[in-house]
Amino acid sequence: MIYYFNFRVVQNNIGNMLNGLGLGLSIAAISLFLSIIIGLIAAFAAVSSNRSLNKLAILYTAFFRNTPLLVLIYIAYFGLPDVGIMMGKIETFVFTLSLYGGAYMTEVFRAGLRAIPKGIIEAGQAIGLTRFHIRWNIQLPIMFRYVLPSISNCLISLFKDTSLAAAITIPELTYLTRKLNVETFRILEAWITAMILYVVTCYLIAYLLRKIERKLKIEW
Amino acid sequence: MLRKIAFSLLVVLLVGIFTISVFAAPEKSKLQTVLDRGYLIVGTGSVNVPWHFMDEKGELNGFDIDIARILAVGLFDDPTKVKFVEQAADARIANLLTDKVDIVIQFMTITPLRSQQVAFSIPYYTEGVGLILPASGKYKNHEEMVAAIKSGETIRVAARQDVYAEQMAQEALEGSVCEQYETHGLLYQAINSHRAEAACVDLSSILWLASSEPDKYLDSGRAFYPQLYGAAMRPDDQIWINFVNSVLLDAMTGRSFRLYNDAFAKWFGVKLPEPKIGKPEMYR
Repeated sequence: MIYYFNFRVVQNNIGNMLNGLGLGLSIAAISLFLSIIIGLIAAFAAVSSNRSLNKLAILYTAFFRNTPLLVLIYIAYFGLPDVGIMMGKIETFVFTLSLYGGAYMTEVFRAGLRAIPKGIIEAGQAIGLTRFHIRWNIQLPIMFRYVLPSISNCLISLFKDTSLAAAITIPELTYLTRKLNVETFRILEAWITAMILYVVTCYLIAYLLRKIERKLKIEW
Repeated sequence: MLRKIAFSLLVVLLVGIFTISVFAAPEKSKLQTVLDRGYLIVGTGSVNVPWHFMDEKGELNGFDIDIARILAVGLFDDPTKVKFVEQAADARIANLLTDKVDIVIQFMTITPLRSQQVAFSIPYYTEGVGLILPASGKYKNHEEMVAAIKSGETIRVAARQDVYAEQMAQEALEGSVCEQYETHGLLYQAINSHRAEAACVDLSSILWLASSEPDKYLDSGRAFYPQLYGAAMRPDDQIWINFVNSVLLDAMTGRSFRLYNDAFAKWFGVKLPEPKIGKPEMYR
């Protein structure tokens, strides 16, 4: 069977698709920022000496890491309005993705915190730094350098996860590609273009982050 | 020698007569086949309320099923003399043409393209697209939504993502914002969670839901895009086609009207007006 490619429909809609890509990137960036904050709080809770906080952090990561993201999106989008919580669709998605990404970040940060040599913290205690200062000035900067590669992976993963926003009619790249597909039936052309856009964007993100990693690398 | 020739001619003659009698004899009509068999075989679906679906007892039920039973009454005076063959929508024409079923009654839209392959009965329902509203929503009918749009409010209409989705939403409610979902089920979830003020779905589904769950769903009163549903048969058996048409015509406008009307009221919540005496209904 011979298939005749016709990329004209893609050409006519490339502007729209790029807008969708931009929206996906923005959602991923905001979600990553929120995931880092959630992850930091949960990671410090996970390594703290307070047992209740430990359990709470474990429960949170276990719940969100073991639930498919699409299920979480449906619960947040269709379920929360039933209990009186009504957010816009983009806000709902960012909220869900941040909680989901936060669970992964928790594990990343927890591992980073555990990897910091005890001697460095003890040195801080020895010169009379408060617990806050030890965390803020010693643990966080070192941990961030350790976990930067994992954060890069997480950003790429979150960016790819934004394709699930199509399920709740957010006009990001996947949604617009599906729309183009059902409107023109140029299945291969539409999805191949989306795939290329995703691959190139992810590659660029990875490249930029690798550069940052190299710059911030700790030389022992 | 002459006797041999005469014998050969006789054999040829007999073979000829036999061949003609076998191949030229009129084929038995499907009507006769069904009557001889003692039950009707109907191809239908099982997952579309209120047309054909499994009820809580695990039995097929719905408007299509009732139409099949009306045919069984016409054939055997017994609505139970039907065997249903469950089939996917894309098997409707294939199962019919390969004689797996006598007739297909499965909310089949009459189209010129399909009519090139199968013979449709007279239509037994006019389907349309309508707007369903959540009963707990701000708007109670189409007029209220039109007024709201005129006053500058934004109204979101959920529609199944396809090539006509945007056009359909605008036809349903001009000036609305069309939100396109991937599956039919998500349209109902969208209005239930107030993510959309209305959804574009089949009118029959609206009538069924508005009558079976009036505290949850409302019919906006807007209906458009009419399409006819008919039963499909093989196109090469006029006796069978005529019979089915006669039974359906009788059920919709004649002596058996009660059967059709009961089914209509049961599945769409609407009691139809009685056919008038005098000039036949369809010529008025």
